[in-house]
Amino acid sequence: MTTTAAGPTAGPAAAPDTAVVSFEDVSKSYGDVRAVEGLTLSLRPGETVALLGPNGAGKSSTLDLLLGLRHPDSGSVRLFGTSPREAVVAGRIGAMLQSGGLMEDVTVAELVGLVVSLHPRPYPVGEVLARAGVTQIADRMVNKLSGGQEQRVRFALATAGANDLIVLDEPTTGMDVTARQAFWATMREQADAGRTVLFATHYLEEADAIADRVLVLHKGRLLADGTAAEIKARAGARRVSFELADAADAAPLRELPLLTSLEITGGRVRIQSRDADETVRAVYALGLRPRNLEVTALGLEQAFVAITEAEEARTA
Amino acid sequence: MNALIRLEVLRTLRNKKFMFFSVVYPSVIYLLISGTQSGAGNVPGTDLPLQAFFMVSMASFGALTAVLMGNSERIAKEREKGWVRQLRLTALPGRGYVLAKIAGAAVVTLPCIVVVFVVAAVAQHVRLETWQWPVLTLVIWAGSLVFAALGVAIGYLASGDAVRPLTMIVYFGLSILGGLWMPAATFPRWLQNISEWLPTHAYAALGQAVETGGAPAARDVALLCAYFLLFAGGAAWLYRKDAVKA
Repeated sequence: MTTTAAGPTAGPAAAPDTAVVSFEDVSKSYGDVRAVEGLTLSLRPGETVALLGPNGAGKSSTLDLLLGLRHPDSGSVRLFGTSPREAVVAGRIGAMLQSGGLMEDVTVAELVGLVVSLHPRPYPVGEVLARAGVTQIADRMVNKLSGGQEQRVRFALATAGANDLIVLDEPTTGMDVTARQAFWATMREQADAGRTVLFATHYLEEADAIADRVLVLHKGRLLADGTAAEIKARAGARRVSFELADAADAAPLRELPLLTSLEITGGRVRIQSRDADETVRAVYALGLRPRNLEVTALGLEQAFVAITEAEEARTA
Repeated sequence: MNALIRLEVLRTLRNKKFMFFSVVYPSVIYLLISGTQSGAGNVPGTDLPLQAFFMVSMASFGALTAVLMGNSERIAKEREKGWVRQLRLTALPGRGYVLAKIAGAAVVTLPCIVVVFVVAAVAQHVRLETWQWPVLTLVIWAGSLVFAALGVAIGYLASGDAVRPLTMIVYFGLSILGGLWMPAATFPRWLQNISEWLPTHAYAALGQAVETGGAPAARDVALLCAYFLLFAGGAAWLYRKDAVKA
């Protein structure tokens, strides 16, 4: 156990050249299943990062490795230049796990009080309860809480002290829209205070709205790493769609260099393109007479689907 | 770590059903066994009358029940529900969880032992020297820690549906073969040879030694210490292994 690297009592303690999280060629298999494969990534202090991926992409495994709950088969995982366990013992990480259960037969206040007392750099219990919005239910037994309330208690546990990194696995599962908005407002305060926040989610609008950086994980590998805007651009940022009297005329469009996908259903042609202006120009240059032309921006969701589908096609 | 121990003790005290049955159950069995056999002679192989012999056996048995059942199932459940994972994300050292569980179990054993003694003294008129009562209580209570550690180990070894059967096999195996139900002296020779090496046999022998007015045999104390190290070491090893795997 090392506590010498505890650093200051709050805020980002990592030196600028020390990555908050650093994965070097990390692999992890369970039997025949390769959960994480050759993952290399690095998080910088103060970033808010979304970890995106379909079910089974390796999100939870990645977080488990990051937190030291599991050990990699090969490669190395470092947090603040130390092992994950050392970082946990130094009180630098707060985590809210989907698989993290709560102690039963105790009240919310007792449970939060316990985790506060175990934290090397704790906040006052009242403050932790208030921030997580659980002051009203502080005297309730943990096993009598609703799903959303449980999530808020988990959040309280993750913010019991002055952590430098907060890790959240699907944090808003079970919350209604209002609770979700309140949750992200609180989370943003944490990020504004200089903390690094890493969250896994399947709500893409959350990643789009909150993250400075998005990591797309697929079959245990890092498929894309950039801002939400960059990810969208990579997937083919725009959708161009129009109708043709004879849709077969659209076939030559497949040769266009900027297209990421083209699909024809009925008389309607749908194109995803990296440069919509250029695509529309090409349509007219081919002598086509499109009707009801629409150019729309792709959401992160569609971008995400496009990227993972392209990967499926490549590896198939 | 003290906060966790305090909370574990509190939780155990709140679990009224478990407390009630753990405390009452050995006394009921004591009354059943000691009441049906009203012989005046001593138990074979000992200098103790049946009522006094079974008082120690059932106090030990009750303590064993409480710590073994309470710990193994609870730990397996907490592993399944992910509370142990959540706890691993705190600065708590691994031994903290194991110690807190042993402490939580120790809270139940104390009333359990005392109630058997009271029932034996009142209903069966068991009489001992004044010093023997507190020493007996202490010896049986301390000895139960061995089985609390075993309960923790089982809670880490098995999961889900396997916990209860495994606990039951260990529990009945140890209590019957160790001579808590019937004196080991009535066993055939080969079974006695096995019985002598079981922790439950040494555990009951501690109390019987105090009851006959002597000090516990060094061999029994050494055997229990060895088992404690084995079980606690096993529990710690399984906890670490679980961290890599779970």
